[in-house]
Amino acid sequence: MVKYMKIAVGQGSCGIAAGAGKVYKALSEQGLGSVLAKTGCIGMCFLEPIVDIYGDDGQLKRLVKVSEADAEKIARFVKEGDEEAIRSLEISCEDSEFLTKQTRIALRNCGIIDPENIDEYVARGGYSAIEKALDMTPEQVIETIKVSGLAGRGGAGFPTWFKWNAARQSVSDTKYIICNADEGDPGAFMDRAVIESDPHNLIEGMLIGAYAIGAKEAVVYVRAEYPLAIERLTKAIAQAKEKGYLGQNILGKGFSCEMRIKAGAGAFVCGEETALIESLEGQRGMPRLKPPFPAQSGYWNEPSNINNVETFANVAWIITNGGEAFAEMGTENGKGTKVFALTGKVKRGGLVEIPMGKTLRDVIFDIGGGMRSDKAFKAVQLGGPSGGCIPAALIDTVIDYKSLSATGAIMGSGGMVVMDESTCMVGMARFFLDFTTKESCGKCVHCRIGTKRMMEILDRICKGEGKQGDIELLEELCVSIKDGALCGLGQTAPNPVLTTIKYFRNEYEAHIEERKCPAGECVELISYSIDPEKCRGCSLCAKKCPVSAIDGVIKQPHKIDTEKCIKCGNCKAVCKFSAVVCE
Amino acid sequence: MSENINLKIDGKDISVKKGTTILEAARANGIDIPTLCHSEYVKAYGACGLCLVEGENMPKLMRACSTVAGDGMVISTMSPRVVRARKVALELIMSDHDGDCKAPCTLACPANTDCQGYVGLIANGEYKKATEVIKEALPLPASIGRICPHPCEKACRRQIIEEPISIAQLKFFAADKDLAGDTYIPEIAADTGKTVAIIGGGPGGLSAAYFLRRKGHSVKIYDKMPKMGGMLRYGIPQYRLPKNVLDKEIALIENMGVELINNVKIVENISFEQIKKENDAVIVAVGAWKSLKMRVQGEEQEGVFGGIDFLRSVILGEKPDIGDRVAVCGGGNTAMDACRTAVRLGAKQVYVIYRRTRNEMPAEDIEIKEAEEEGVIYKFLTNPVEFTGENGRVNGVKLQIMELGEPDASGRRSPVPVEGKFESIELDSVIMAIGQGSDLAGIEGLDLTKKGTISADENSFVTSQEGVFAIGDTINRGAGIAISAIGHAKKAAIAVDAYLNGVDICYKEPYFSEREVTRESFPDVSEISRVKMSQLSPEERKHNFDEVVHGYTEEEAQREAHRCLGCGCHDYYECKLIKLANSYDIDPSRFAGEKKTNYVNKYEFIERDVNKCILCGLCVRACSEVMGITAIGLVGRGFTTVVSPAFALPLDKTNCNACGLCVQLCPTGALQERSLLAKQVPVKEKAEKITCNECDKHCTVAVSYVGSKLARVIPADMQSLNCVFGRKELIEKLSKRLSDAK
Amino acid sequence: MSCCCENKSDLTLLADVLNEYKSVKGSLITILQHAQEIYGYLPEDVLRHIAEQTDIPVAKVLGVATFYTQFRFKPVGKYLIMLCQGTACHVNGSERIAAAIKEELGIEDGQTTDDGLFSIKHVACLGCCSLSPVMMINGDTYGNLTPDKAKQILRELKNEE
Repeated sequence: MVKYMKIAVGQGSCGIAAGAGKVYKALSEQGLGSVLAKTGCIGMCFLEPIVDIYGDDGQLKRLVKVSEADAEKIARFVKEGDEEAIRSLEISCEDSEFLTKQTRIALRNCGIIDPENIDEYVARGGYSAIEKALDMTPEQVIETIKVSGLAGRGGAGFPTWFKWNAARQSVSDTKYIICNADEGDPGAFMDRAVIESDPHNLIEGMLIGAYAIGAKEAVVYVRAEYPLAIERLTKAIAQAKEKGYLGQNILGKGFSCEMRIKAGAGAFVCGEETALIESLEGQRGMPRLKPPFPAQSGYWNEPSNINNVETFANVAWIITNGGEAFAEMGTENGKGTKVFALTGKVKRGGLVEIPMGKTLRDVIFDIGGGMRSDKAFKAVQLGGPSGGCIPAALIDTVIDYKSLSATGAIMGSGGMVVMDESTCMVGMARFFLDFTTKESCGKCVHCRIGTKRMMEILDRICKGEGKQGDIELLEELCVSIKDGALCGLGQTAPNPVLTTIKYFRNEYEAHIEERKCPAGECVELISYSIDPEKCRGCSLCAKKCPVSAIDGVIKQPHKIDTEKCIKCGNCKAVCKFSAVVCE
Repeated sequence: MSENINLKIDGKDISVKKGTTILEAARANGIDIPTLCHSEYVKAYGACGLCLVEGENMPKLMRACSTVAGDGMVISTMSPRVVRARKVALELIMSDHDGDCKAPCTLACPANTDCQGYVGLIANGEYKKATEVIKEALPLPASIGRICPHPCEKACRRQIIEEPISIAQLKFFAADKDLAGDTYIPEIAADTGKTVAIIGGGPGGLSAAYFLRRKGHSVKIYDKMPKMGGMLRYGIPQYRLPKNVLDKEIALIENMGVELINNVKIVENISFEQIKKENDAVIVAVGAWKSLKMRVQGEEQEGVFGGIDFLRSVILGEKPDIGDRVAVCGGGNTAMDACRTAVRLGAKQVYVIYRRTRNEMPAEDIEIKEAEEEGVIYKFLTNPVEFTGENGRVNGVKLQIMELGEPDASGRRSPVPVEGKFESIELDSVIMAIGQGSDLAGIEGLDLTKKGTISADENSFVTSQEGVFAIGDTINRGAGIAISAIGHAKKAAIAVDAYLNGVDICYKEPYFSEREVTRESFPDVSEISRVKMSQLSPEERKHNFDEVVHGYTEEEAQREAHRCLGCGCHDYYECKLIKLANSYDIDPSRFAGEKKTNYVNKYEFIERDVNKCILCGLCVRACSEVMGITAIGLVGRGFTTVVSPAFALPLDKTNCNACGLCVQLCPTGALQERSLLAKQVPVKEKAEKITCNECDKHCTVAVSYVGSKLARVIPADMQSLNCVFGRKELIEKLSKRLSDAK
Repeated sequence: MSCCCENKSDLTLLADVLNEYKSVKGSLITILQHAQEIYGYLPEDVLRHIAEQTDIPVAKVLGVATFYTQFRFKPVGKYLIMLCQGTACHVNGSERIAAAIKEELGIEDGQTTDDGLFSIKHVACLGCCSLSPVMMINGDTYGNLTPDKAKQILRELKNEE
């Protein structure tokens, strides 16, 4: 009989939120404690909680959407080999494709190793890259990165070697290497997953960077909203120090580097590198003027290099496998892989890492499985508040920096939110402007007041109070804000508006001219009614109506009092006969 | 080692030291790049987005304040892209800038007289300076102050509390003082050799002459009447405007070198063509001297007078025969002047026939009331349908009884006849005061409006003929009030001056920020009634033409002037924002939206008004970077960010040393220092630098005066910011020393 | 921000934190984070104390504290509901969850129930986009919410009291 060596329960934030903690507890209560293990996030968030069972025959049984109640069945399988017990929990072939169609570099260990155990990282070749790098000269390390074509994965796509080289060239006894883990795009969680699931990969990447630029201190700036990431990274730093991968005279090769974590306090703008530095220094996170660039004068006015988590997560792999291996993947305008957080109305959402050069269709339909509902795919939002919406017609756009920018969107940090017909694009633009307005630091005029005014205009359009000329006014504001804003946050804030106007101008016009929301989402512009032909009088809608706006006799068609109706949509959601109409 | 950088800015080759910013490089070469958040006192910050410039082959605009000049850069400081970004920045700033640049009174005045300025100066006893301020906008304040229907007072904010300030009466108080003493004559520029002829010596013509003469042009006025003054002289009764007052004010204009030529009728004495030929420019200001007819049967009979014709003949001493029973038709100010004049001529029964009600009367309330006190009988809701008569002379009127119907387009309820209801009154004479038209005989070749007035552009006042301008009652909408004609004159003078200099500019209404207020906006203001000017009782005044009002005493005037709320920004003359805003042709209304929340903190010395703050951060940075004090900081984030001391405490509860650097650097009126004047008033101040000898540091300080009074003592070098005595003690010491020295 | 409390906070609770960080430059945010953990929010006297101890002007301390959304200046309820406003949550109906919470508790973003039990705060993405819409209550994440499910969770918490 096959012996089951390890039962790994995925314990990323999503997994835990889906009940992985309870599953773990229930499994240990089944007496499986000796083989029970924790792992990070495999990235198949739509299937959480996930339990992986490793057999000594090298086979892996992956169980999905596991609940506490399934613990007994799993115990039966592990102890008695009863395959039938877990048959219904096993991942389907179709769902497995979510992973098999990916190419994982940055995420290579995620969901496989226990992030709280450095030995598991080392067992998979971890910390061999820093060893290799320390035998190279810093210049050689930078050259390797240059050959790899690695570009900043935070959004701007600036060549990593160039920044490293600039910091290397700056003369100073004190330099800093900083990791931007202030993942602010509201719809992205790649960095969180990496830190939670494979923190040592980040540490190793940063160490290599530190060595390359000549920094003796490394700081990771993590969002306050990621407590689990902070916890795991803290443990990992302690373990790495204990094992001699971090601290003084690393691996006995004379290189020293200390690392610490700084928790952010809630400010999207701190993802902008100079604002991040201000925040690290204990100041308001308001961007500084550039130049000088951080590579010349950054943290405490010393040369500093800042990269985001995913960028660092590629570094160890590149050193181990060589720059050429990395550069083999991708296109002329983007090398290597890119991680996306695929979410929204897509069937299979989660973390997707693919080589550049694949298309949006590959990600959304092949890997993501298309739309969750029967509604048609409408657009995909890339790059969050700094990015844009790409319409269905451009679904075959190739994923690399240049091709995506050509659409008006950007690669961004990797947020990929899929929208179907029921998403209002004006509402989408308003959503992002609401975000930017709240997150604007308030320093420069164009962003502070400009985004506010854009938000107000979008708001009135969504309310059916739009005026002729509002679209043109928005466009004018967009252009001026792009020109005039001080930092990247402000300069890119117009992108969601510009792209939605570019591709969905008719939706804007419908709101303004006809006072209609074609997607049926803008509450002020829609009304609910019941089709008497279809209504069977089950009264479920009346029961679910929070304001008692639905009246009717059982088994007879019901009616909605539009005066009372707050347009919450509950009735439409619960109706089994599609009798509730929203116009 | 000083390495030089060569670049091109706006086509000019420039060489600067390495490390120089584009802003510094441009300024050193006389090229101005605007900024509201930059100062040499503090580090570059980059907030305002106004110093943006465009570099050739550079994808992004650059902030000149912080971008270091690079070799070979080709910079444009005024490219269309730059101008657009700046314009939007200014519009955005203004859309969130809640304050009054100018007081509502000033904006309401057709001549934009700085009412708040002179009222404030009167409050401080600076009468001469007050007259000077008034005469920037109107040269006849003693006359206008007496007769103006004062749109300023209708706009006065004080009426939210109780009653408006007596702005007009304060004006003639100051002007009378001036006429009685050492009279103010404005500076006159050197002769330009250009000549301007003005046809018509009424308020418009006289004012145009005054403004053009100040510019150094040679000006003459032709007028058909024996004396200058136009309607002020021949349309306004003596009891409202004693003619000796008008004479004095006209004499001042004559003393400035304006040639006054009376008894000249166009065509008869000189032709329009000849005037045009003899002068470089001509202004037509002939007014509206024709009484309009009602087109009612019997109107042509003897005993029916035109309103202004009647008033003129009384003033000329012609004693028109009106008899005992007089009816005045109309409800405007001319009707009031006519009925009250009729009373004074001895008429026993004087009726005012008006087809609407008292509420709709266009005349001033005070006039309506005083006429009533003098015994005038109002026949409201009546309309003459026939003037009856005997032997060609009027002896009565048949009146149609009216009622008010639906409001018309203007919102006024129009009167409609009540069918079959009539009333008859026996009369000896009728005065028709229903409107005036222009008599343009001899002034030929100009394009006219449908109304028969001259068509003129309301910014430049040019007509269809080159070099001919037209202003006042004779253009466009026709007869208005005197101050409107003066407003025309002021703006036309700018256009004429430009025309004479061969430049194509005209007056342009500047943009002003305006604030909306309610009673709640003035929590600290309690009710104080208006100081009533003493005047003759109805009995004392109705039998003669003596001036009705007596004028204010100094004490009364100051007391009344102190009531002024001081609406207009006290930093107007220092405000960098409004100057810049007006040079970029902005329209902030495009971006109208939510503004920062109301937050005004008054401190005895430094007042903070967050509503006006543009978050340039200069104050915060100066307080910490320069002074090392950090009494204020930025609070909050994004749109709702405010500058505030910790926990919104008043500044004197913080470590603020009142150095005032923040106020000096503030580009708007968000931070203001109280002046030493009893009544705070925004006027241009004269500042001079002196050496302070109160201790052995001998700092440089700037002192400024308003009129004869010391207004401010301001640190003018770095060490004076840290005065050993503290700012307030220093001010005390210096003001004592300066007043002793006087 | 204005003065909101006259309560005297026990400043000795902060002594260890201040000893550790007050002389480490750039630690203001860290100190504030610890202070908020200790007191639940940042009372005025605590802010003043931090300013004195760190020698940072109090206006600056306030400036930093009010810049970051993490910091609160009023006590929060026993249960702090953080409702995710991420893009995925928005697309999947977080507004309806906010409405449901308002119906159940009568509070909106930034408010606390009268009984001091619940506070709600809208937060930028919690990073659990695949479970959207999501809320986090005292560190526990609840995903795939529907209005009914959200109400149910709140009722259970109420019943525990």
